[in-house]
Amino acid sequence: MTTFSLFDKSSKMDGIYVFFIVNRFQMLFLFFLLPTYLLHPFMIWGIVAMAIFSQLNIRLLCKWLESNYAKKGYQGFVELFGVRMVRLLTFIGLILILIKITVITLGYLEVIHDFIFPSMNSNWIIFFILLTSSYVASLGMKNTIRFVVIVFLCVFWIIFLYFPFFIPPIAALHDLYPLIPTNWTTDSWKGLLLIWSSYSGPEYLICLIPWIKPQQKMRKYLTYANALSTSEYLLLFIASLFFFGSNYLSKSKYPIIHMIRYLQSPMFERLDIILISLHMFVLVFALSIFLLCIYGATRIILKKTSTQPSRMGFAVTCIVLFLCFVFVNNWIWSIKTEQNILLNIQIWLSGITYFIVPTFLLLLTKLKGRVKA
Amino acid sequence: MFWKKGKRIANDSSDTQQPVQRKISLDSLKQVLDNMDDVEIIERTTLNDQKVVLIYLRTLIDQDRLNESIIEPVIQCPHAMIYESIATPKVMKIHLLEEAQKLLLTGAVLLNDCIQEQWLVIPLPNELSRGIETSETETILYGAKDSFTEQLEPNITLIRRRLPITELKTEKYKVGSLSETTIVLMYIDGLTNPEYISIARKKISEINFDLFFDSSQVAAFMEEHHHSIFPQFQQTDRPDVCAYSLGLGKLTILVENTPFVLIAPITFFHLFQSPEDYINRWPVASFLRIIRYLSFFLSVTLIPLYVALTTHHYQMIPLQILFVIVESRSKLPFTPFWEAILMLTILEIIKEASLRMPTKSSQTLGVIGGIVIGQAAVQAGFASKVLIVLVCISTISSFLVPNYLMTKANTLIQFCFLLLSSFFGVFGIAMGAVAILAHLNGLTSLKQPYFSPIAPFYWKDWIDLFIRGPLINMKSRPDHLHPLQKWRYKRRM
Amino acid sequence: MRRKKILLVWGIFVSLVMIPGCAPFVENNTIEDIAPVTFWSISKGEKRKIKMSTLVPPLVNEPKSLLTLEVDLLKQGGKDFNLRYYRELKVGQLRMFLIHEELAKQGIIQLINTLLTDYDISQRMYLVIVKGNFDEYINRQAKKQENLDYYLYRMLKHYERKKQGEMTIVNLHEYKNKLFSPFSDPVLPVFKVAKDNFTYEGTAFFSNDKLIETVKNTEDQIFQLLDNDHYLKFFPIPKLDVVIGHLRSRVNVDLDKNLSLVTINVKLNGRIEEYQGNKNILNGNELMQLHKEIETELEMKTTDLIKKMQELKVDPLQIGTHTLSPFSKPISEKVWLAAWGKMNIKVNYQLYFEALQNTKNNY
Repeated sequence: MTTFSLFDKSSKMDGIYVFFIVNRFQMLFLFFLLPTYLLHPFMIWGIVAMAIFSQLNIRLLCKWLESNYAKKGYQGFVELFGVRMVRLLTFIGLILILIKITVITLGYLEVIHDFIFPSMNSNWIIFFILLTSSYVASLGMKNTIRFVVIVFLCVFWIIFLYFPFFIPPIAALHDLYPLIPTNWTTDSWKGLLLIWSSYSGPEYLICLIPWIKPQQKMRKYLTYANALSTSEYLLLFIASLFFFGSNYLSKSKYPIIHMIRYLQSPMFERLDIILISLHMFVLVFALSIFLLCIYGATRIILKKTSTQPSRMGFAVTCIVLFLCFVFVNNWIWSIKTEQNILLNIQIWLSGITYFIVPTFLLLLTKLKGRVKA
Repeated sequence: MFWKKGKRIANDSSDTQQPVQRKISLDSLKQVLDNMDDVEIIERTTLNDQKVVLIYLRTLIDQDRLNESIIEPVIQCPHAMIYESIATPKVMKIHLLEEAQKLLLTGAVLLNDCIQEQWLVIPLPNELSRGIETSETETILYGAKDSFTEQLEPNITLIRRRLPITELKTEKYKVGSLSETTIVLMYIDGLTNPEYISIARKKISEINFDLFFDSSQVAAFMEEHHHSIFPQFQQTDRPDVCAYSLGLGKLTILVENTPFVLIAPITFFHLFQSPEDYINRWPVASFLRIIRYLSFFLSVTLIPLYVALTTHHYQMIPLQILFVIVESRSKLPFTPFWEAILMLTILEIIKEASLRMPTKSSQTLGVIGGIVIGQAAVQAGFASKVLIVLVCISTISSFLVPNYLMTKANTLIQFCFLLLSSFFGVFGIAMGAVAILAHLNGLTSLKQPYFSPIAPFYWKDWIDLFIRGPLINMKSRPDHLHPLQKWRYKRRM
Repeated sequence: MRRKKILLVWGIFVSLVMIPGCAPFVENNTIEDIAPVTFWSISKGEKRKIKMSTLVPPLVNEPKSLLTLEVDLLKQGGKDFNLRYYRELKVGQLRMFLIHEELAKQGIIQLINTLLTDYDISQRMYLVIVKGNFDEYINRQAKKQENLDYYLYRMLKHYERKKQGEMTIVNLHEYKNKLFSPFSDPVLPVFKVAKDNFTYEGTAFFSNDKLIETVKNTEDQIFQLLDNDHYLKFFPIPKLDVVIGHLRSRVNVDLDKNLSLVTINVKLNGRIEEYQGNKNILNGNELMQLHKEIETELEMKTTDLIKKMQELKVDPLQIGTHTLSPFSKPISEKVWLAAWGKMNIKVNYQLYFEALQNTKNNY
């Protein structure tokens, strides 16, 4: 047996992987809910506006990624904050990641439960999804990052299935009217927040910097990723407007999946079952990246960075995560007042982190630089 | 654990058996060659009354040439120098017993010149070889028909004829404590990435085992992932495939006594490429290649999909098809999963039997197989007609993969998927696919990623991946092989 | 040591799988154990109950029988069917939902909502209004014809695909979309059961979820041209002794600013299929005259149809959507319906017919 090297930093990844990763992180789970929250055709502009903001944010992030601190990886953080602060921030990050993956997993679980296996005990699915992703993660960070290409290729083409919704009997231009905001309510603000938080994801690149080649044209790849996600959001949203009309959209919980449910092919009907299953590729990928991040973070918090990663420690992380998911699934996720609390928290949190992390890091770097000078 | 222990013992014993270097003498040789029936020790006197002793193994040497080029010239040797009278290209003097022993067993004649007290060795191996025939494992319609044989030298000849350049290097090694198999590492100097060569050298030097009769056994000791079902070395008996791979920047390992040559580093996708791809017109070749990938996909997923749909997702079947399936399944005693397992196992048995049986009785097998699988199972009500059709399609499509080891691998994957699909339906298949792809993504061949040029991503190499692009557009060698010379054409000065 | 650890992990894994029993499922969907029903027929029962019936066994060539139940709730019926039949009836392949006319007149929104909540039920399920006693028909016919339900489905599918232009075919999704959107009212096809025949009769207009009017024959054909299919294979006009056919229509609706006039321009491409009148249609002038006559006839009939819609205050043609524009606030549905009732109508037809071929003048 070879040694267990999860965090082998020998080879660096090209910028193209960043493109794939950021794009898929932006298409994790929240986009399933997007049309239900946006409702009105004028929110098309909302998506565009948020895309521009996200682009600005990405510029900040890139500036930081190009700075000297970023190139040093963990050491850079230590220089920036000091060991104790890094441990604190890691702890906060750990909590954030934990909430994020809990929400995306349980959200996906709910989709499976609704559409594929309505009478199944969902803990089983958690178990098997986690089993798969811990296998993926156990192959090491390098392979997991590489895996994104396969994930992207297996999943990306799904967007082309929405093509039939742009052909006349379903697509009528009047479904897109009015294009100017006529009744702006608090729900519209919520919609904007949801768009923003579904754009979040690039900020987790800071966990992956040791594996990314420095001096890359990061901005180029990040811009492409952002643009691709934007066009996917727009496509999906416009297709769902065509299909449901903005009046019915709010009644449907996962409009994007319902649309696929409507499609028929000569070989299969209910294509949604296949596509939901395929979406697991993205989920497993995200879970395994975050699983590694969590394991790494725990090592930082427990001051074990200098030792070799152990199988036992990794296994324990996976098991704890499983228990955490099961706990949340059984006791917290099912509490539903008007809206899912955990989901709301996640929407807020990811919006905030995406806004704050790049700015904060860049500011701090600039300040430090000035102090040194 | 046990393996480790075994290894340690082997190491110990090899340490203790460090041979004492002994001088060669007739008595000691006789002692060593005791009880070997095919040893011939003959004495002759030359015209000059010199006594000459010849020692050889009858079974290993070419007796005609022995008479022609050694015995006759030596006996009629007019002058005292026997050494000069021998009419073979290679004559060596030796002094050590161990050396003599080894050479004797490779088919050489030992000659003792009693007067000058010297031992000569003359290699005169019996070229026991079959002719060069067409390849049976990788048949093609157009293109070169020759294939490798069990002899090392002719195999090297076949490759050298195709690559007549001095940069084509051959390095000889011996592996196997009992079989003493010669293996030859071949590469193009200045083209193949030196890293691969040094990895290969290191791995070959680390091989420690007794018997090597086939290149796959050599491969087993060189690969990094012993438990994977995917072959990490390509095996081929076609010299053109070998030469083509060498030209791209891979290296090959020729093993004595087997026609199969190892090629490394390979990727998953190389196993889907057939030499005919480069002979057909490029759109046709691309189409065929896509069909091959598709049929691999089908052979792995078709039956699991059937089981998934009929066990879990009856909603997914269009009414027209459901009509057929319900009709054929309504009175079956088994659930779809057991039905599929049963049929697939029977099929595997028949497949295996047809490989092992003598050719003459294979007709019987065909008839029995056809009737059992095709007719009787349906009529007896053990399997549905739909499943039979699907089993046939998936089996036939599994044969489209050019690499035979891969064909075996996908049967295993199919069974895994079958199990998953019976538990979780389509979701289970997707889960299996994630696992398999992740596994492939983590595999390496000669420490190079197995799933490139997809992961890691080399988009320029995609011209020869799922499609086979026009040759004139393939101007550079594949990036993922990191060759030292990138361009395939000579650049003008 | 390591091997032991791996064994331990495997042991835990296997026991985790084994202890709760292998399959984590409750539902059995194996095809031979279930009976995927293809249609439900719903009619009015006694005392506010609904009468549900379906044909079992579905999809198999076995003697079939009709199961009928009187229930309060739709899904209750689904459950009670299972108790009556030896295989479990599942709704995942429900393809047709036949609603009796009487029931439709009372409103079917509750039924539609139940159908929408079940994710197993396909959105492509056809909704059909039936006149007459369908149960009796199917009971009788099932003995004569094998797989009656299947062929019924094939028929509906044939006319839906590629818009064959004979019938209004509406599925659950389309119905729901029109029902829940402003400026549009749903329509459904009406089939009539008369003894051994199951014939297409026309299109039913709905105001909200209540059936209020059925249009037949010529009016239905015009409706197909105006909205539903924009295509018609044959359109007989007996008054003028002519059958026009292969009609493809392009409809252009214009609303004026203050919602007092609607102009509908219809361009028709097609050809004359049959003519038995006494004009020489090989003669250009007379042909033009015939065209004129057909145009006037069509304009008249169309105006009548739209007037009818106005009186009923329904808008199945979705003319109201033309009030929407990209840069203005949409009017409310109430305002629209009020305006719609009082609107003036102007209909223009333009015919572009192919020249006649392979014919000779009889005169």
